[in-house]
Amino acid sequence: MPDYSPSICPRCESETIKVRFESPVKGVWTLYGCDTCLFTWRSSEPATITDPKLYPKKFKIKPQHLRDIPIMPAVAAPEK
Amino acid sequence: MAYKDLRSFLQILDDNGQLLRITEPVWPEPDIGAAASAANKGLGETAPALMFENIRGFQKPKLATNVHGSWPNMALMLGLPKDTPPKEQFLEFSRRYQNFPKGTIEERQTAPWQEVLIEDNINLYQLMPHFRLNAGDGGLYINKAAVVSRHPDSFDEQNVGMYRLQVKGPNRLSGQFVPEHDIALHFKAAERENKPLPIAITVGNDPIISIVAAMPLLYGQNEYQMASALSEEPCPVVTLKNGLQVPWGSEYVFEGHVLPGVREPDGPYGEFTGHLSGLRNMTSIEITKVWHRKEPIYEYTSIGMPWTEIDYLFLNTCPPLYVQLKEKFPEIEAVNALYTHGLLVIVSTKVRVGGFGKAVGMAVLTTPHGLGYAKVVIVVDEFVDPFNLPQVMWAISTKVNPKYDTVIIPELSVLALDPGSEPPGITHKLIIDATTPAPPEKHGEYSMQVMDPPEAKDWLPKLQALLKRK
Repeated sequence: MPDYSPSICPRCESETIKVRFESPVKGVWTLYGCDTCLFTWRSSEPATITDPKLYPKKFKIKPQHLRDIPIMPAVAAPEK
Repeated sequence: MAYKDLRSFLQILDDNGQLLRITEPVWPEPDIGAAASAANKGLGETAPALMFENIRGFQKPKLATNVHGSWPNMALMLGLPKDTPPKEQFLEFSRRYQNFPKGTIEERQTAPWQEVLIEDNINLYQLMPHFRLNAGDGGLYINKAAVVSRHPDSFDEQNVGMYRLQVKGPNRLSGQFVPEHDIALHFKAAERENKPLPIAITVGNDPIISIVAAMPLLYGQNEYQMASALSEEPCPVVTLKNGLQVPWGSEYVFEGHVLPGVREPDGPYGEFTGHLSGLRNMTSIEITKVWHRKEPIYEYTSIGMPWTEIDYLFLNTCPPLYVQLKEKFPEIEAVNALYTHGLLVIVSTKVRVGGFGKAVGMAVLTTPHGLGYAKVVIVVDEFVDPFNLPQVMWAISTKVNPKYDTVIIPELSVLALDPGSEPPGITHKLIIDATTPAPPEKHGEYSMQVMDPPEAKDWLPKLQALLKRK
């Protein structure tokens, strides 16, 4: 596995990233996830996915904008 | 049917040269998505299913994709000869669809998926070879599952639907439940009481189950009963302790619940529209129990810029429209609603009177499915095969005078995922009447149309037999 040790999420650039899973065959890849935007990526993916500088701008999101994204379905209010 | 589950169907595909095993090592990304795309685009309408058996990092993976992804595969799924043309598949599908009331459900006590049970330390990452299909997808998805739920207040109302699920953690998923979906109605009722909604998720299903789970049935119509009508055999199910019926022939069965009051970021995801739907806050699901067969087969549907596997699945959209339209107008010959789940619909019909084609077009718009789809409706004569696009293009290019034969109806409803809608969910709709003008319509000169020799139908099997002997 090439050296890859991310410190931020490729999509929202938060530092809240964690190892989600290691490949069952040891040392082939590591699956990462971001606890802020819930993006998931694998260390073996192309740099356009794993590198925050190369991750496509159109898919980037700022953490503060997450609360503005649409909700589907709307949360059902309790019946009065 | 000659098959009883996904495994035995894959064997039939294999026996008919419609299953390709990829045994060389591949990367989860981008190889699987790239191979699936190449099969759909490069191998076209006779593409095989793909079985990946050596995915780097996984131990003994079995990943099947493009199982429904060609006309031979669809024909074999219906138990027909693999060279059955699409229109004949449609007519047979429609005939069986109308046997829905005769469909029966067979309760069984045991199923092959009970071989392995996991209740502690569930790890969805370990259980199946997840991968990112399209580069823009926001994560790993399960996209060909049947999700089973019941209305919490009226328990008889059970739904089996195909909804995309994003894998978020070892036992966590998020689900796209569009408000119009049956499961969204069930969840809304539970969430109002601040209660979780019990669900079951089955993966690696009998191919008929996938067809009915993605079919536009009426609310309350039982998917298993429809599966029985389509397979012309009782549909075997097993009832879980939580009361949900799940297919007997699945590879995996998850039990869990949708959490009330919780929404979390999900997406983007490459949808059947050939466009990514954006990042949205969607429902959160906790998995509490997993059953699976030994060495389970994980099935994923190939989806991307059409045509892909999912576009063949949309053969299931044609019979409901056909039956509903034929009730109004017996002259209807066939309905092709394959394109983007019926965002474009082609209807062939005999013409009763001048203006009839436009009336048929309006009728399509007012079907239940037409409310969310049917942005463009093309109506052709009964002798034009709506599944044969060169014939349809001929009809549009010669039978249409835009001055007389096009109608735009403003601001109708459409699914919000339609990227052309504005605002999302609203669109103008277009009817193109490409039937031959009939009296008292007068425009054009159509008295000299060439017709196929009627004897051609006898020559086709003769030519096919000669070709086989070569």
